[in-house]
Amino acid sequence: MEKLLEVKNLEVSFQTYGGTVKAVRGVSFDLHKGETLAIVGESGSGKSVTSQSIMKLIPMPPGQISGGQILLNGDDIVPKTEKQMEKIRGKEISMIFQDPMTSLNPTMKIGNQITEGLIKHQNMSKQDAKNRAIELLRLVGIPMPEKRVNQYPHEFSGGMRQRAMIAIALAANPKLLIADEPTTALDVTIQAQILELMKDLQSKMDTSIIFITHDLGVVANVADRVAVMYAGQIVEMGTVDEIFYDPRHPYTWGLLASMPSVDSDDSAELAAIPGTPPDLTNPPKGDAFAARNSYALAIDFEEEPPMFQISETHFAKTWLLHPDAPKVEPPEAVKKRMRQLSSTFEKPVLVKEGK
Amino acid sequence: MAEKLLEIKNLKQHFNVGRPNMVKAVDGITFDIYRGETLGLVGESGCGKSTTGRTIIRLYDATDGQVLFEGEDVHGKKSAKELKKFNRKMQMIFQDPYASLNPRMTVADIIAEGIDIHGLAKDKKARMERVYELLETVGLNKEHANRYPHEFSGGQRQRIGIARALAVDPDFIIADEPISALDVSIQAQVVNLMKKLQREKGLTYLFIAHDLSMVKYISDRIGVMYFGKLVELAPADDLYNNPMHPYTQSLLSAIPLPDPETERTRRRKSYAPSVHNYAEGEQLEMREITPGHFVYCSEKEYQQLKAQYAK
Repeated sequence: MEKLLEVKNLEVSFQTYGGTVKAVRGVSFDLHKGETLAIVGESGSGKSVTSQSIMKLIPMPPGQISGGQILLNGDDIVPKTEKQMEKIRGKEISMIFQDPMTSLNPTMKIGNQITEGLIKHQNMSKQDAKNRAIELLRLVGIPMPEKRVNQYPHEFSGGMRQRAMIAIALAANPKLLIADEPTTALDVTIQAQILELMKDLQSKMDTSIIFITHDLGVVANVADRVAVMYAGQIVEMGTVDEIFYDPRHPYTWGLLASMPSVDSDDSAELAAIPGTPPDLTNPPKGDAFAARNSYALAIDFEEEPPMFQISETHFAKTWLLHPDAPKVEPPEAVKKRMRQLSSTFEKPVLVKEGK
Repeated sequence: MAEKLLEIKNLKQHFNVGRPNMVKAVDGITFDIYRGETLGLVGESGCGKSTTGRTIIRLYDATDGQVLFEGEDVHGKKSAKELKKFNRKMQMIFQDPYASLNPRMTVADIIAEGIDIHGLAKDKKARMERVYELLETVGLNKEHANRYPHEFSGGQRQRIGIARALAVDPDFIIADEPISALDVSIQAQVVNLMKKLQREKGLTYLFIAHDLSMVKYISDRIGVMYFGKLVELAPADDLYNNPMHPYTQSLLSAIPLPDPETERTRRRKSYAPSVHNYAEGEQLEMREITPGHFVYCSEKEYQQLKAQYAK
């Protein structure tokens, strides 16, 4: 498959009164055409900063991309100027935000918000752009688009606003769509509709999607591949089956175990991950997750674990995969999901620097 | 079954009564809450589940109907003294741990506010001891007492909210989406804490939420609301295994599960109120299909459901 986006060793930091916050600490991944990559993690794990860096929406200063490359179709966008980025935003990459009320302009008609990008990027005439806006609203499932196009955001319900946001994002046929928790503010029934809509549009337009969420149910529904982030780093990455049926990182175990499953025993305690995420002004020595990890080895407090490869597509950053590490049993709730996947290597392989 | 702690009878909460924009947020719901149980209340935003909670605790005055707490009506005319008594027995935990704590008060003062109002501590020392004890109960330390809310994370703030609710030794706690604003790993911590407190103190919860898997985990029974009405009420497992009302079926079919294989094959059901095809004047009410499992339906539907499920 063709690679659309390659992120290599991305580092993003913010200058604050309390010191430099290293929000993203060496993130690498790639995204193929027509693929959906889900990024999961808690608040503060750097998932939103990573995606905003791809759009270069990080306010600079205080933010700064302090290292790494973001290759879009092989072209590095990190050194690009604001003016050059304007040509990319909306046209090559667009974004859907979590809160459809605060991210739409309340003083502008929905139609004008959709046509704004079309007139700017594609030199469309006003009338053509308006027709395209109506067509887009119909595409995202808004009834009576001819009337809706002249309405304001407050006249739309939450789900309808999110549909309108998707229409704005798709207006110029972007190759990459970044969806930052697009359904978190919505009800389950509306969420299901929006997810179906996104998948349907993806198959029609062959867009690649980066989907940021902390809802593992949504991940299982939309993702082809999953990256799990913790404290500014990707700690595990693999296909959706590898992450859900053969997770290797204790943090991924923790996430999976902390969710009640519909057929689980309700009298048992949920396996919560104790404590809170580390402060990234002073990232802890060694593995950032060690302090909350009941599986932590002595080396976790000393040295950062390297990335190990478990299959062609499956990577995990934990010392537990080292040949000298003791054998550990994942928590009960995770063991129940484990199954043997055919693609797994016989032994985890240490990934050499530079990958 | 255990003793009834709370009886809600035909509760109605209408806003803007008599004006064209009248909203029937809660429109005649009836249910009981038993001592020591957790009743989950689920439904879409705008279905009236939060309004129900807020009306029960009398943050709103009910338009019609009764809320009986241990046999006494919560609403209706009351002296300040009687009201105070109720307020001690019923407490609330709010959704937004950022907005529901006063940013200008220290944690100790937030927690002790109820203690002060009800005069539960005889001197300053006893008051602080009670605060320390409460902080420990919810998994925070003594040192946190003199800090301000902004110094805490979302999960910790929700713990402060729980400590505040516990300060007056209530019997009944209404938790209005207490975990929705928290991260997954933190949600489990708060839910475990709530379950532990229930075991230790024999608390009764009304747990309002839209995250259905968490609701099933914490609740003994679950009520499903749709447009101001309770449409189904059943024991938690029963509701998940045998959802009877078409709206409940549609709601359950929309939850994404953390399992890619079932997700690939999941079919979502949609719900349109027109499927019922109710004739004019048909009597709609909660009817018991199987023991403890109530569905809001007509006489005809009742017979059909009964034939289908009663074995």
